[in-house]
Amino acid sequence: MRKLNNVAKLAAISAAVAVVLAGCSSSSEETATDTGAAAGAASGTVRVLMEGVPDTDIVSGLLADFNAEYPDVKVEIETASYDQMRDKYVASFTAAEPTYDLAILDNPWVGDFAKAGFVQPLDDLIAASDGYDYADFTAPLRAIGESDGKVYGVPFYNYALGLIYRSDLVTAEPASLDELAATAKSLTTADRAGIAMQPQKGYKAFEEWGNYLFAAGGSLYTDGKVKLTTPEAKKALETYIAMYKSSAPKDSLNWGFDDALRSVSSDKSAMMVSYNWMLPTLNNPDGDSGALAGKFKLGTMPGGKQVLGSWHWAIPTNSNASDAAWAFVSWISSKAGEAKRVTAGGAPTRTSVFSDAAATAKDPAYFATIAKILSNAEPLCQGANCDEMINAVGTELNAAFAGEKSVDDALAAAEEQANKIQAE
Amino acid sequence: MSFRLKLMLPLLAVFTASVGYPLLYAFYLSLTNYKITARYNTRLVGLKQYIATLQDPNYWNALQVTGTFVLLAVFIEFWLGLFIALALQKQKRIRNFTRSFLLTPMFVTPIAIGLMFRFLLNQQLGVIPTFMAKFGLSYDFFGPGKALYSIVLIDVWQWTPFMVLLLLAGLEGLSRSPFEAAKVDGASAFFTFRKITLPLLVPVISVAVLIRALDAMKVFEYVFAITRGGPAIQTMTIQYYTYQTGIQFYRLGLASAMSYLLLIIVMVIVVILFRRIESTRKNP
Repeated sequence: MRKLNNVAKLAAISAAVAVVLAGCSSSSEETATDTGAAAGAASGTVRVLMEGVPDTDIVSGLLADFNAEYPDVKVEIETASYDQMRDKYVASFTAAEPTYDLAILDNPWVGDFAKAGFVQPLDDLIAASDGYDYADFTAPLRAIGESDGKVYGVPFYNYALGLIYRSDLVTAEPASLDELAATAKSLTTADRAGIAMQPQKGYKAFEEWGNYLFAAGGSLYTDGKVKLTTPEAKKALETYIAMYKSSAPKDSLNWGFDDALRSVSSDKSAMMVSYNWMLPTLNNPDGDSGALAGKFKLGTMPGGKQVLGSWHWAIPTNSNASDAAWAFVSWISSKAGEAKRVTAGGAPTRTSVFSDAAATAKDPAYFATIAKILSNAEPLCQGANCDEMINAVGTELNAAFAGEKSVDDALAAAEEQANKIQAE
Repeated sequence: MSFRLKLMLPLLAVFTASVGYPLLYAFYLSLTNYKITARYNTRLVGLKQYIATLQDPNYWNALQVTGTFVLLAVFIEFWLGLFIALALQKQKRIRNFTRSFLLTPMFVTPIAIGLMFRFLLNQQLGVIPTFMAKFGLSYDFFGPGKALYSIVLIDVWQWTPFMVLLLLAGLEGLSRSPFEAAKVDGASAFFTFRKITLPLLVPVISVAVLIRALDAMKVFEYVFAITRGGPAIQTMTIQYYTYQTGIQFYRLGLASAMSYLLLIIVMVIVVILFRRIESTRKNP
């Protein structure tokens, strides 16, 4: 009986501790409105995890402007490296008490997170927000944020790729894949590679090669299935391998984004296929490029089509501050918010911003190129299991780059695995 | 309840909560099709995940890569560590400084070491290839057929001091009398090392090699920071493959089965090693 009493006491104490802890752990104190976000009406604390990149700093810099209109919404930005972000978000989405009330999603995550019910549809919120003009976002970016006919994310910033080259070395932008290969070869000297490539196994290999595939006139999907056993894909892979051997920095098979950027900014490579918003960084006189600042230009990939990446704002289903989160999202991604963000140096997502003279004043030619890039760009993956699919294809491509597999075998294996993974 | 058992209770409670529960839960997951992004469709699938793992050529490749890495790294670390420990034992001056200095790599987190070597060995911008180029030498550190060995060398750089630490402690704890007797009998240095030092050190060597081998099996950070498992799947270690499956691709059920199979393999190896150590101790 005494033992039973002890057990009962222990249970009572545990229950009391649990109640106290539950009370303590609720950090958001939202006074929610039902839908939409009439200016100034929403209130609460919005916790969001963001990548430690310039676009995040720009958003942080605009918080004062946001709070001038929404004094009762407090946005708390936590930054992390890319590799940490997804895991932290998944932990928050699956927790009883979320860590984040607002999320930014990389494009391969959107489909999986939407299907998992981690993030909520935004259609009603968009419809209730007067003047938001969702259709103003460029069509490829809108498509990334949608799943099964619903909107789960609105564009935050794009990271579409393009060809970044030294304008003092490249006289005319290559118009075809063969011209790109020839240009890279002609620029290669003992001290400088023609093009810094990013053949690292997995995401980077596929992301870069995807641009070569588009430049060869190919596409990733045919009738909803990944189709890589095509003459265009073969040509793209053969050209990529030939360029890696003849024009890329020696022994750079494990190179990713950082390595290529360092190579170009230190005058060790003349070109690279990279994110369009790297141009201002490279041309920054106070940046790593030193005397080379101002000599870099951005062009579309030969053929005009490139791989599209983007970050989207999304509201977790278990958010403690959905209305306050939407108040912030609808403000920062509105036409006016976008203009402010782009003026401050952010990567554009709306069509209207390209005709905003103030926003594009710093470098009109650069913005004109981005407009062209965003009008003809496609993500690496559509649908489910994108991370796994991208990694599988990137592994097969890397095997071909390394000479471990023939071009035909690698493409056949990549196609088979990609379709198998996406069908699951 | 005996007093001794009562004293053990707090430890047992903590052990059950921190080790027992995760192990049991992981075992449960390994019998399901649990996927983080499809949590509500979870159901028991019996041994399906284990069968899938055993039929997965990439899993066997990862085991092979990890085994090669462990054997090579521990072998080099042991002999290099023993050589350094023997040298340090004879050292007369600035002993403390030398020993502290040699241990420095161990204090740095492996992910930082991985990033550091990624740039040190960068062919275009790295210090080491630039230095080698001055002598007309060139080596593709992370190229096909070479990347795994480069990662072994990075591990050797970081963890040989651990071997030195244990072996030096073992050497300094040995009784001097057998060595003095050997000296009186005119035994050569090599004979003394082979017939006296090594046999007497066996218990320490066994523990050092076992600890290092188990630790080396967890290799993840260098792969994550430098190669991501490439070229192709040449540096895809078992930890990185399991991480990819469970965390990156959300398939926690499958990853749990992979982990359990690895656990069984490691347990078998450890039991065999312990038995051999025990028999060596009883019949030297």
